[in-house]
Amino acid sequence: MKYVPKEITEEVNVTPTHPLVNFAYLLGTVALAGVVVYALLGVAADQIAQRINHKTEEKIGATLVQTLPFSTREGQDDSRLEYLNELVASVELDLEKGGFDTNRYPPVKVGIMDTPVENAMVTAGSYLFVTEGLLAEVKSENELAFVLAHEIGHLQNKDAVTALGRSLVWLSVNVLLGIGQQGTSVVPNAFNVAELNYSRTQETDADEVAIALIQSRYGHGDHSLDFFRRAQEKEPDFGQFNRVAQWNQTHPLSRERIRKIETTFEANGVPLSGEATPLPENIHCPNFLDCDS
Amino acid sequence: MEQLIFIAVLTAIGFFVGRHLEAKHYASIKEREKQTLHVPMMNFGAKQELPQAHEAQLFVGSVVVANDYFKTLTSALRNLVGGRILVYESLVDRGRREALLRMKEEAIGWGASQIVNVRFETSNIGGQTGNGLAAVEIMAYGTAIR
Repeated sequence: MKYVPKEITEEVNVTPTHPLVNFAYLLGTVALAGVVVYALLGVAADQIAQRINHKTEEKIGATLVQTLPFSTREGQDDSRLEYLNELVASVELDLEKGGFDTNRYPPVKVGIMDTPVENAMVTAGSYLFVTEGLLAEVKSENELAFVLAHEIGHLQNKDAVTALGRSLVWLSVNVLLGIGQQGTSVVPNAFNVAELNYSRTQETDADEVAIALIQSRYGHGDHSLDFFRRAQEKEPDFGQFNRVAQWNQTHPLSRERIRKIETTFEANGVPLSGEATPLPENIHCPNFLDCDS
Repeated sequence: MEQLIFIAVLTAIGFFVGRHLEAKHYASIKEREKQTLHVPMMNFGAKQELPQAHEAQLFVGSVVVANDYFKTLTSALRNLVGGRILVYESLVDRGRREALLRMKEEAIGWGASQIVNVRFETSNIGGQTGNGLAAVEIMAYGTAIR
């Protein structure tokens, strides 16, 4: 038999589908599945958040607190903790007056975080932290009370434990599927996700609770927002792009936030002027002992 | 956000550069296949008589082909749902044909009249460290006779 060279022109080994079409199809499928899973996780997390009892929540919270990247001075002997705990308790008294359910979260435990960042946060189990930076920055009790009331708002809305629920479900699914091979450090991861997950709606809802508590405590809305006002001055003004900038962060921009809170105060018929309640001296120093000299 | 942009840029580079290089490679493959078509390659069974030859020599052609970022991302997505990984088809196809061509061209240079008992071998390179296939080595070998 003689060999006759013959060119093979058809490509049987390469499917003629355009790679971009193939990619778009895959991305669509995965994105859709992701959205469905995320929605289901949200529902599951809400269910968990509603049903979890205070004891369990506190246990989880205690584990999380140990993973904090700051020293928390919780166990330390600092008379400021006593003061802050009392302030929180007296702010909480107004929950009942505001018509809120009073048994939504375990008793609040205040801690002070040793960091110059001006912030306050709550985590599951009602562990509330204020930073040294915040204590150095606040000028009146009204300001501090508003920040604490805002955090109480998060507790009241069960935001901390909901965020925790979602990230825990998400992590267990990830570990099961073997996607993120970081199963060894589940707790710190859960904590990070929980921290980020306060959405802007949750912040606004927490502000609503804070407004109700503050107006019932002081009878006016003056001085409470001064802390935010000073923060606003430090913020860059993006002009028309403020709306875009807002999408990139979880806390609504301060000026937007101040405007919204003032409108709510006015709508509730609460005066925006009144006396400031003073803070104890040297609140930025351990045990209120003068530390500036 | 920055990470997403980073990934998008890498994917775009992978797609456009990868596609351009692939088209160029395929053009070269087709051209060289035409030029080497006159030398037959065939396989014989154990009890079949081999063609008459004065000399015989083994020739090996091998090539390592890497995948681009776009292919990696697409295959990672495909990994979640399963099915045929279309983007790798052209990758291994190019590898096989290139390896075969290198072997054949060398044999022709030696003066082969035909090449018998051609075989392929494939292995992963760099697949151990990262997830998925980083590069694939394809080797073709056969006995040239003259």
